[in-house]
Amino acid sequence: MPLDTASTYGQTLLRTDGRRWNELRRISASISTQPSTDGSSQFVMGNTVVVCNIVGPREGRGQRDTNNALIETEVTVAPFAQTDRRRRTKGDKRVQELQTTISSAFQAHLFTHLYPRSSITISLHVLSLDGALLASCLNAASLALVDAGVPMPSILAAVTSGVITSTDGITPSDPILDLNNSEELELPFLSVGTVSGLSEHQEDKVSVLIMESRIQIGQNGKKLEAMLAVGVDGCKQVRTIMGEVVRTHGTRILRGRK
Amino acid sequence: MGISILPPSDSDDDLGSGSPGSPSPSPHDSSSDTSMPDAASTSSSRRPGAGKRPKLSSSQRRRNRILVPGETITDEAQWMRGHGTFSAAAPSSSHASASAGATITATLPGPLHTTNKLLSITPLRSRYHPSIGDLVLGRIVSVDRARWRVDIAAPLLAQLPLSSINLPGGVLRRRTTADELQMRTYFQEGDLLVAEVQGVGNSDGVATLHTRSLRYGKLRNGVFVRVMGEGRGVGVVRGRRQVFTVATVAGSGSGSGSGEVDVALGVNGYCWVSRHVDPEADALEKEKAGKAKMAGAGSRVGMSISNLDELVSNEIYSSQNDEIDYRTRKEIARLCTCITLLADAALKIDEDTVIKAYSAAVEAEMEMMVDEDDEDAVAAAAAAGVDRKSELKKRIVQAVVGGG
Repeated sequence: MPLDTASTYGQTLLRTDGRRWNELRRISASISTQPSTDGSSQFVMGNTVVVCNIVGPREGRGQRDTNNALIETEVTVAPFAQTDRRRRTKGDKRVQELQTTISSAFQAHLFTHLYPRSSITISLHVLSLDGALLASCLNAASLALVDAGVPMPSILAAVTSGVITSTDGITPSDPILDLNNSEELELPFLSVGTVSGLSEHQEDKVSVLIMESRIQIGQNGKKLEAMLAVGVDGCKQVRTIMGEVVRTHGTRILRGRK
Repeated sequence: MGISILPPSDSDDDLGSGSPGSPSPSPHDSSSDTSMPDAASTSSSRRPGAGKRPKLSSSQRRRNRILVPGETITDEAQWMRGHGTFSAAAPSSSHASASAGATITATLPGPLHTTNKLLSITPLRSRYHPSIGDLVLGRIVSVDRARWRVDIAAPLLAQLPLSSINLPGGVLRRRTTADELQMRTYFQEGDLLVAEVQGVGNSDGVATLHTRSLRYGKLRNGVFVRVMGEGRGVGVVRGRRQVFTVATVAGSGSGSGSGEVDVALGVNGYCWVSRHVDPEADALEKEKAGKAKMAGAGSRVGMSISNLDELVSNEIYSSQNDEIDYRTRKEIARLCTCITLLADAALKIDEDTVIKAYSAAVEAEMEMMVDEDDEDAVAAAAAAGVDRKSELKKRIVQAVVGGG
């Protein structure tokens, strides 16, 4: 039996790992995992594990912007993170792009004007990688920044979403949420991160959107639109889970204080 | 227009009821848990002035409820927003018709505090924000022109101008360029000092420190401890006595030292535990030493008020540690552990709690003492799984919480 989504999904409507189209993998997270840093978190999404440490806001070294804090990101993917052992060099272009994406997402999102001339360093360690690299990094960084007490208008949450294209023309093309590594290799997918609207009456705003695969826009299936809609809704679910993590942690801290 | 979730196209295929057009609700995909909790209750319960005191809707008033960034606190117009909150200028949106004022949302994780009509959130954890009059400990990072840059665990490095320190030779001395050239003789990179925040910059919040008091200045003869500072209710408490002396058990024996240990708790979470210095006795000693030195140098100058001052002041900037006897060193280490454990247990750190924790630790040692030579006893303790540190922490928490 072939174990790829494209050939089995049409028959069972289940993905290879048994999820339906709109189901997230199991998410668990914790914050304040490293007491010696200003903020820290661990974010687990299925088999993807990311640890994040925040240093700062602290005096920026050689920073020219006198009005805002500068966000710097360092991403390290452990050599043992995937099935094949692979050591990534420091100048890996993909990692660099990842760093830039994360930095610019938080640069625009956080209230950096409260910390002029300073810098905030996000250091991310990917311990295990099973898809959703960017999304997990963004989520981990978001939680760690909440832990560090850096003011932000809302929690930035991210997921991946993809689309299953029917091969036989009979079964429909379905958008799917939160792809794992094998699905990412096989299907077109995008990573989307959103922040919630300024009030409850407003919609979420997309702050990060990256897609590296080719897909038709506006054709009969409206694949891209469907992917985006599923992704934005998935971000909402992830944000709820992340908010609950922060709330649980805070309640425990407050109980300990008395 | 909203981006609504598009179900997979419901085509008339032969899959029947199992088609993805009618997916069964999964635990992750119910529409009820995607909305922020309490969002409905805050918007609906807009009671007109119940009583004179402004009241938040009940769900938000629940004690010690943790708000998370992005969570709506209120959308009533009567509230003012304080620290940790944010209100966007209400955009002219078709959805905003329900709310007259701008919605106030949280930007930090933590419990809500209301002071009359001011809503603010105190974060669970954040960096130290300097304010005038704080006693802080710092470490010199660099020596600039006519000032030092000091790490005080704040977002930006603090400044210590050359004009804000006591120079040898009296208070009324002019700061010359010669002083600027020998700034490293007073403070070098890496030196620790205790100082007071003299001012905070308006635009960027840079703290300016001063050490113009005999209580402040360079630190030596002790151990540096770093804990979380300034958390409301935990960490080092602002406004209590922050420099105090603890009479330790080292003094009760026949040790050479007095057994007293000085503790300095900086509001920024940096603490210093050191051998006690008695200013009077110190000065006397210095006088003697000075006389001897002068006699040795064959100097004709007698002792006068002015050069006594100079001798003492020179000693202030010494980096040479004194000899500390073993018993005092042990008590210094014990006090350090107490401070760290208090921080671990998320308790207040002030004179009262430190002294209580210390006496609990001393008592605990008496009870938990295992004779290291007695192999059976050591093995029994190991078998019983006695983790001394966690046991100590438990006792300290008990002593501090139970007593006060």
